[in-house]
Amino acid sequence: MDLFSEIYSCYYQVMRHLLCSPHALSLSDIRRQIGAEGFEESLLAIIPKITEGTWNLFERCDGLYYPRISSGFLTPLTALERAYLKALLADPRIGLFLRQEQQNTLEELLKDTAPLWRPEQFYDFDRFTDGDPYTDETYRRHFQTMLFAQKHRRYVEIDYTSPKGKRLHHRYLPARLEYSAKNDKFRLLALKHTRDNRLRLEILNLSRMQTVLLTDKTSAAPADINAMIRRSYYKEPLTLHIVNRRNALERAMLHFANYEKNTRKLDEDTYECRIYYNESMETELVIEVLSFGPMLTVTGNAHFLELIKDRLRRQMSLAAEAAPSG
Amino acid sequence: MSDFQELVKSFPKIREYVRDFFVYGFKTRQDFTEKSPRTYDNQRRRLESWLMPFIRRDYVPEGSNISLAIDSNLLDTNPLFQVWKTRSFTDNDIVLHFLILDLLGQGGALTAEEITDGLLTSYEALFDVQIVRRKCNAYTKEGLLEKRTSRKKVVYRLDTTLARWIQGQEEILDALDFYQMAGCFGIVGNVLAQQMDHQNHTFRVKHSFFVHTLEDEILLVLLEAMNRKSLVELTLKSPGRDRPATAVCVPLQIFASTRSGRRFLCGYVTKSRRFTCFRLDSVKSVVISETAEDYDGLLSSLLKNRRYLWGVSFQNEEGHHLDTLVMTLKIQEPEEDFIVERLVREGRGGIVLRKAPGIWVYEIQVFDCQELLPWIRTFTGRILSLSCSAKSVEECFYRDLSTMYHKYRLDRTSQQ
Repeated sequence: MDLFSEIYSCYYQVMRHLLCSPHALSLSDIRRQIGAEGFEESLLAIIPKITEGTWNLFERCDGLYYPRISSGFLTPLTALERAYLKALLADPRIGLFLRQEQQNTLEELLKDTAPLWRPEQFYDFDRFTDGDPYTDETYRRHFQTMLFAQKHRRYVEIDYTSPKGKRLHHRYLPARLEYSAKNDKFRLLALKHTRDNRLRLEILNLSRMQTVLLTDKTSAAPADINAMIRRSYYKEPLTLHIVNRRNALERAMLHFANYEKNTRKLDEDTYECRIYYNESMETELVIEVLSFGPMLTVTGNAHFLELIKDRLRRQMSLAAEAAPSG
Repeated sequence: MSDFQELVKSFPKIREYVRDFFVYGFKTRQDFTEKSPRTYDNQRRRLESWLMPFIRRDYVPEGSNISLAIDSNLLDTNPLFQVWKTRSFTDNDIVLHFLILDLLGQGGALTAEEITDGLLTSYEALFDVQIVRRKCNAYTKEGLLEKRTSRKKVVYRLDTTLARWIQGQEEILDALDFYQMAGCFGIVGNVLAQQMDHQNHTFRVKHSFFVHTLEDEILLVLLEAMNRKSLVELTLKSPGRDRPATAVCVPLQIFASTRSGRRFLCGYVTKSRRFTCFRLDSVKSVVISETAEDYDGLLSSLLKNRRYLWGVSFQNEEGHHLDTLVMTLKIQEPEEDFIVERLVREGRGGIVLRKAPGIWVYEIQVFDCQELLPWIRTFTGRILSLSCSAKSVEECFYRDLSTMYHKYRLDRTSQQ
């Protein structure tokens, strides 16, 4: 079972779509398809193969290209893909998606397949212990309602208990379901209409939802959630100086790899890294920066710097307070 | 220019370049000293071609550098999956792929000779029967075709039952959307969804470390070795040395950090007779060798020892078997009860006790307390005291704090 195989290559995908076309293709149709699906320079490689007939997969007539294969062409699953599906059947979250009879059918279709991995072959040593209750019937129902609503742009009424214990009830448009491997939790990125009828992005933990009701109201167009997230980022990024000792540079670069960032070299062993973030990421980012200790120095923005200094000041005063007890 | 190929033959070669661009994103042409400038130029051009929407170019005095701007908060897929879709192939490979699968897709089981004839009569494609047989055998190995003997003849057939069933199950496509983003071997979920002409527009991942997909080929071999209960020979990156390091071990489990995305092979090194963890991104290649002795016994011993692991280190610098760390915290009750919740949720089995109103103690016994320090530091501002049976750990904690006070000009000496 090869993971790096031409079977999964981008070129094969592009060609499959061209070959499954139910009608003849002009050269500009072909170019358009390659441009949309291929890599940046794929046109240069693929077009001559088709026009010169090296990939003899089209019949050419009056400047049009007729696929030689049937438009219902379907690639069977590879052994790797089957083993992957079999492994998913053992995951506790699979029940959020598949009904029991679907799981049984899939199990039957894969009865001669060994899973690609087994859960016990992995150990997530730092995963938080209060993950979501994936097998709980209410949780599962909420998840499925949310999934349906997100896909069909339907509004939902959510009764929610906030982390501070406050009960809230609002109408939301689900935008994305977000999963955190660290927290082992799902959160809903939801849009809420404000009083001045603007959309505001809110984040709700699925496990804190008490009731979820699907409404008949539908959103006409998808909201540009990325624009909303980007707008929420502080104008001034967090700026860190990293002294590359004890492999700190690589560790920091990997640790902050999931943020939008850019890095430049200041001198022989000092680097500057700018990280873009918003208010909802702030506390976590403060904690992450602190975890590196003196390997990282915050140089900006002023607000973030103050947050770090504040923690350190509090730590200094505690050190003064703490007297050895007998 | 004419010999530039967008696709590549070998994954390991490109892996390091992608990693360097993604992880660091500040290396200029001069910084890549291991290969010739021309090799660098070609690899860089490939990366730009594959990942263009995510490429950012910055101009610095030493030249321009490119980096990958990948913010997981904004993405419905892992852009680095593209790297897996760049395998080169021959003209025969692609033509035979579509024609053989199309021919067999019409039903029936055919011999290599019958397939060769069918290619000619149905598609006007002339191929040598040996080439066709070789491709059919390769596809049997990949699971695309089934091979069996019927009336003393070897025949090949194709079964699309599963693919057709999946096409009609929206719920499975939803599951693939999720697992390609959040699960193991996400690339497989991604190509499967792509095969079904389906794209994720529903799920995002908060703590996602896209770069680790690049280790999946190594992981695949390791899992196979674990299933076979065999020893493996690892070739490891060793910066600063002329030759790569090697290690032989019994592969037992994959340890993963959800905070950094890093994955490790935990194995039993026969030479040193110790459990050791190897970072997957430092493993260059894996060779499966003979069956390991007492595999199950070693695995069970690992599981017993695991409760004394904080992360991936089985030994400490001071030579103690186990060390104990005690942290006392000052917590405003009830406003800061979430800190107590953090201790329980993140403390990996450590004991959490309320010593007095507002005073909480966290205590744990592990092999290597040094590994705890990054987590301990996240409580900065609330730590009344920290003590550890490994004095070097305690000293390191307080020394680092002093350095930070000084850096941020909070201590007396820096204020003078």
